[in-house]
Amino acid sequence: MNIIITGLITGSMLALLAIGFSLIFGVARIVNIAHTAFYMVAGYCIYVLSVKLGLHPVLGMLIAVVVVTVFGLLAYKFLIDPIREHEAAVLIATIALAMIFQEAMLLIFTGDYLTVSALIEGYFILFGVKIFYQQVLTFGVVLVLLAVLWFLLMKTKLGLAIRSTAEDREVANLMGMNDSQLAMITMGISVALAGFTGAVIAPLTVLSPYMWMEPLILMMAVVVLGGLGSIKGSFVAAYILGFTEALVVFLIPKGAFLKGSVALSIMILVLLLRPEGLFGIVFEEER
Amino acid sequence: MAVPFLEVEALTKSFGGLRAVDNVHFRMEQKEIVGLIGPNGAGKTTLLRLLTGILKPDSGSVRFKGKQIIGMKTWDIVNLGVACTFQNMRPFRRLPIIANVMVSCLSPRAMKRGEWVKVVEAKAMDALEFAGISDMALEKASTLSQGDLKRLEVARAVATEPDLLLLDEPFGGLSPAETDLMAKSIRRLHKGGRFGRLHSEGPAMIIVEHKLQQLMKIVDRIIVLNFGTLLAEGTPEEVVNNPRVIEAYLGQGGGQ
Repeated sequence: MNIIITGLITGSMLALLAIGFSLIFGVARIVNIAHTAFYMVAGYCIYVLSVKLGLHPVLGMLIAVVVVTVFGLLAYKFLIDPIREHEAAVLIATIALAMIFQEAMLLIFTGDYLTVSALIEGYFILFGVKIFYQQVLTFGVVLVLLAVLWFLLMKTKLGLAIRSTAEDREVANLMGMNDSQLAMITMGISVALAGFTGAVIAPLTVLSPYMWMEPLILMMAVVVLGGLGSIKGSFVAAYILGFTEALVVFLIPKGAFLKGSVALSIMILVLLLRPEGLFGIVFEEER
Repeated sequence: MAVPFLEVEALTKSFGGLRAVDNVHFRMEQKEIVGLIGPNGAGKTTLLRLLTGILKPDSGSVRFKGKQIIGMKTWDIVNLGVACTFQNMRPFRRLPIIANVMVSCLSPRAMKRGEWVKVVEAKAMDALEFAGISDMALEKASTLSQGDLKRLEVARAVATEPDLLLLDEPFGGLSPAETDLMAKSIRRLHKGGRFGRLHSEGPAMIIVEHKLQQLMKIVDRIIVLNFGTLLAEGTPEEVVNNPRVIEAYLGQGGGQ
């Protein structure tokens, strides 16, 4: 039972992160290493707003998401957009960005672990397992976000523009899609998703300037397993990895340190056996 | 003098040492249909890609309705009223056919601000109706046959309501019957009018094609490219009887 809860929470978190990462990769071919750094920044924002300034946590979360999104858009405009033609340079720039965030957080908040209190205290017992209300809330918010995102992508004009550009940028341009404007919007959505993830997960974890590393690796594993650029793939793979991780911790209680290596092993296996992932597309040669 | 509709001057593009398009000049009037022919590798597709801004030329100028479009982004050129189809069809294979066309309808040129998805969908449907594949609207684009894919390309191009339509081998890979149908569609489009919610003034067209017999029936004028340079220009009759064109096509190499 515990496995299911942990698996669901981890899976949901990974799903949100990986989908955001996939989106911006799909539309703009940007590999955003700083993606989970935005998630960390969101956590710290909530800490400042709700613990230091004493704002209501919900308000704190919303402001945090907005702040992070603005950060993301600024980073895109001034750091990524000028060098977008050179994909490797973009990759390096996003690594640098992640480092900058990490060092900035270290300077401001030191390396101490910080905690944010839960929105709703308390728990209930189901089949003999303690389930915290905060966990239920987190899971609920994730489901709502995923539903909103699905609607946005599948049922709106913006979603269609994003999906078409993700599939074939050149053709979409020829049909009048403004690719740099779309990349900007997608960056906003992607970073907002990272921000939301940080916001709902902050009360369940501890904040530290290095907290972006582990989810980054897991998220990469998810994206590889699900197939680069496939949103459905990211979603399914996130839960697979979430449960695998929970299972490892449960089966080998002393081997909790192994969970990172499990993700990496899965990643390597997928790359060896099925490089395009579960739902990935085989990239056609550039013409 | 009135501003020329399309004016191409000294357009040059090299790939490595190869001059794919070499110092090409030509002009087009509004509503004119121009055939662009030449042996394989003559630079026809490259020329189209230069006109739509996918490729940037090394030098030269292209004025569309008096406006310099070299250096503009592809989507801005499309929004000025240039549309293009691909020779090797490139649909969004993972989207339904209707969604493929809806993407075109989303361009700022075709869509008024704040238009509802349903209206966009209806417009896309009209474009499919025009191309004659509306009955397959909800299927995935990957299921279409070669001929239907060509028609999808045309539907997508028509949906942006262009003033200048660039068709890259619209008859390529089609059966004789399908070719006739396509030719009929092209003529109907050129006449202009209303196709459901879509409105056409009758766009000017540049058609790249190897099926010369069919092409001759549609076009007003023909431009011949060979090794990237302009070889000949004139009415279909003039071009067919031009000895230099015959030589380029049949190959007089080796001094025979």
